[in-house]
Amino acid sequence: MGELLRYRFLFEQMVRRELRQKYQGSVLGLAWYVINPLVLMGAYYLVFAVALRPGFKHPAYPLFLLVGLTVWIFFSQSLLAASSSLLDQGALIRKARFPRETIPAATVAVQLVTFLVVLALVAVVTVAVRGTFDAPLVLAPVLLLALAAFVTGLALAVSVLHAYYRDVGPILGAALLPWFFVSPIFFEPGDVVHSDVAREALTWANPIAPFIIALRDVLYGGAWPSLATTLYVLGGAVLALAGGLALFRRMAAELAVVV
Amino acid sequence: MTALGEVVLDDASRAFHVRADPGRTLKAALLGRSRESGPPPVQALDGVSLRITPGETVGIVGRNGAGKTSTLRVLAGIVPLDSGRVEVGGRAVALLELGAGFGRDFSGRENIMLNGALHGLSSEEIEARTDDIIAFSELGHFIDVPVRTYSSGMFVRLGFAIAAHMDADVLLIDEVLAVGDESFQRKCEARIAERIAAGATLVLVSHDPALIARTCARTVVLDAGAAVFDGPTGEALPFYHRLMGTS
Repeated sequence: MGELLRYRFLFEQMVRRELRQKYQGSVLGLAWYVINPLVLMGAYYLVFAVALRPGFKHPAYPLFLLVGLTVWIFFSQSLLAASSSLLDQGALIRKARFPRETIPAATVAVQLVTFLVVLALVAVVTVAVRGTFDAPLVLAPVLLLALAAFVTGLALAVSVLHAYYRDVGPILGAALLPWFFVSPIFFEPGDVVHSDVAREALTWANPIAPFIIALRDVLYGGAWPSLATTLYVLGGAVLALAGGLALFRRMAAELAVVV
Repeated sequence: MTALGEVVLDDASRAFHVRADPGRTLKAALLGRSRESGPPPVQALDGVSLRITPGETVGIVGRNGAGKTSTLRVLAGIVPLDSGRVEVGGRAVALLELGAGFGRDFSGRENIMLNGALHGLSSEEIEARTDDIIAFSELGHFIDVPVRTYSSGMFVRLGFAIAAHMDADVLLIDEVLAVGDESFQRKCEARIAERIAAGATLVLVSHDPALIARTCARTVVLDAGAAVFDGPTGEALPFYHRLMGTS
């Protein structure tokens, strides 16, 4: 922990490096970080809210969709960016000794900033459209912190696994597509399946689902998420972060040799 | 407990697998094939023991592939040992190759910040050193230009200037000095002497016997991952020349 504090400034530098390097030389530069998710959201919006118009009974359906989409984009983009992050920074890893965690953590931090900007926009519009400022909103910071911890834990695991096993990134990329469709982003589990078993499976078997449901309850519904969902979110965050960190530390020693 | 500037290698061994593709595929891992294919591992360090007291200047010589750079990478804490023990007291700063840790699209100044951060310095500590580093590097206005435009001499000047201002307890330098011009080399040697006078330890890998003779009181000759000679430079260099058949 003391070591992490000592390398606080390195983390800052890594975030700067990540921000600058990716879109270096492009005309729009940093704006791409917000444009990309907005374009994705626009595309999904056209498909689900305009073209398909699913017969669910959610009022202001575009906002229902956007809250879930924002969370999903943060989750998926963070993991994809993290998977290649250690290889991208191989030159540093081979030449200096520093806590390797800073590399995937910086990629998540960059995605987190974009996510919070876009989510804040969505949340303001959602609350304005609903017209009431509800007490459950106080839970939002806690849920967001838990989501950030959850994603960071998974990002640590994915990044170090990909450095050793180069199939991890492509597998992840392939898995995220079907994963999107079974995640409760453009539906509530109860909208699309009728058996209890299927509904429970869609809600609990997919680790990102409770995060989406809880944040949507709070931001879009203005309602408290169920106790089970909240506990799942908090437990998932602790478990993912502790597990991801443990795995990363176990495998990080040889990174200078494998990247 | 290791004293500041002390370096200990105790029966240190390290092997590397030689593969075209360093990463493994899941298929190879699942089938347990990763170790069977390809050439046998190279034993870069084979039971090396070395004890360097604070303030010593130690040269490492040996033919290509003798384990010199591996020794430095182990001392720098970048690569772990397979067996044995390594201890380095205090802050070890390694200058391993040209442009160590340089982001090519970043300016020299930004790279000073990044390199300082990699060594665990805070932004205030780095800012306090930035002017000295820039002056030492003799880069002038090039310090604010992306380093991809630098010549190799400029790279090494910046790299050395940064490494020499990190308050290292142990300085680990690999070969790179040869790239600078003669006057800059002399300036580096003078700076190294200053650091040593301040109590730092130097471990220098080089193929240049004259540089070793000028800089290092003690020299270790490595061959095939083992220390075959360890003693005063005046005796080590003749041994090295006999080993290489160049005496």
